Amino acid sequence: MNWEPNIIAATTEIFSTMLMMEVVPEPALSERVTKHNDSISGIIGLAGSYKGMLAIHAPAPVAMTITTNFLGMEVDSLNDDVKDAFGELANMLGGSVKSGLSENSRDIQLSIPSAVCGEEYTLDYQPKNRTTSVPFKTGEGTFVVELQLEKQE
Amino acid sequence: MGKKVLIIDDSSTMRKIVTRSLRQAGLDFDTILEAGDGVEALQLLQNEKVDLILSDINMPNMDGIEFLRQKAGIDAIKGIPVIMITTEAGADILTEAKSLGAAGNIKKPFTPDQISEIIGPLV
Repeated sequence: MNWEPNIIAATTEIFSTMLMMEVVPEPALSERVTKHNDSISGIIGLAGSYKGMLAIHAPAPVAMTITTNFLGMEVDSLNDDVKDAFGELANMLGGSVKSGLSENSRDIQLSIPSAVCGEEYTLDYQPKNRTTSVPFKTGEGTFVVELQLEKQE
Repeated sequence: MGKKVLIIDDSSTMRKIVTRSLRQAGLDFDTILEAGDGVEALQLLQNEKVDLILSDINMPNMDGIEFLRQKAGIDAIKGIPVIMITTEAGADILTEAKSLGAAGNIKKPFTPDQISEIIGPLV
């Protein structure tokens, strides 16, 4: 299954509704990006009939702009507000994607979201899972929404 | 005496956004209380009387469904209306929430207009 339309629909709806930000999807990345520099990643796991994770990765300046729009207050570093905002963005994106995977949603569970940030880190959840990564352009730069999913038999 | 609302969500971001959205929707509660999960909420409700509860479902320690279940067994608070604000849009989960006394639900992402439409009639 091609998850790209699900990712684009969920991301554009959340950003336009709750952040009043226009984000423009770009063609999906052909290769996974596992190394991140001066960035933050909000992550949520999915378990049940589908197993995997959804992450939103953003470089620091983009993350601070997104959080400023989300909270309606200025942020000038990757502080706890930014981490919480990115956890919540992952939560909303995960919930939206989950709705598209399962009609009653009961057979897929979402984990509690989390966020990691730092000058240099690597995220490599399940390298064998199929991954779809879609970049989105903002006025400040680009962020990426990544979905790794494996259907459980 | 002014109206009080309790927002239950493990995300401080979401608690801020719900608070802002209530104001944008013209629903000016005199007091807005916050709890990070169902356990905190039940503790807070031992000492505070509120007119409305807005609760997430997916939370650590005690989720929104278990909170509803426990609240339904406490005479002093079982009559307080609860609106679920959640990414969990699955029919089964919302049916379960309703069977446990939830008065309605708002799906994230939401707009202040949606907040007004669903919460307005309850306050």
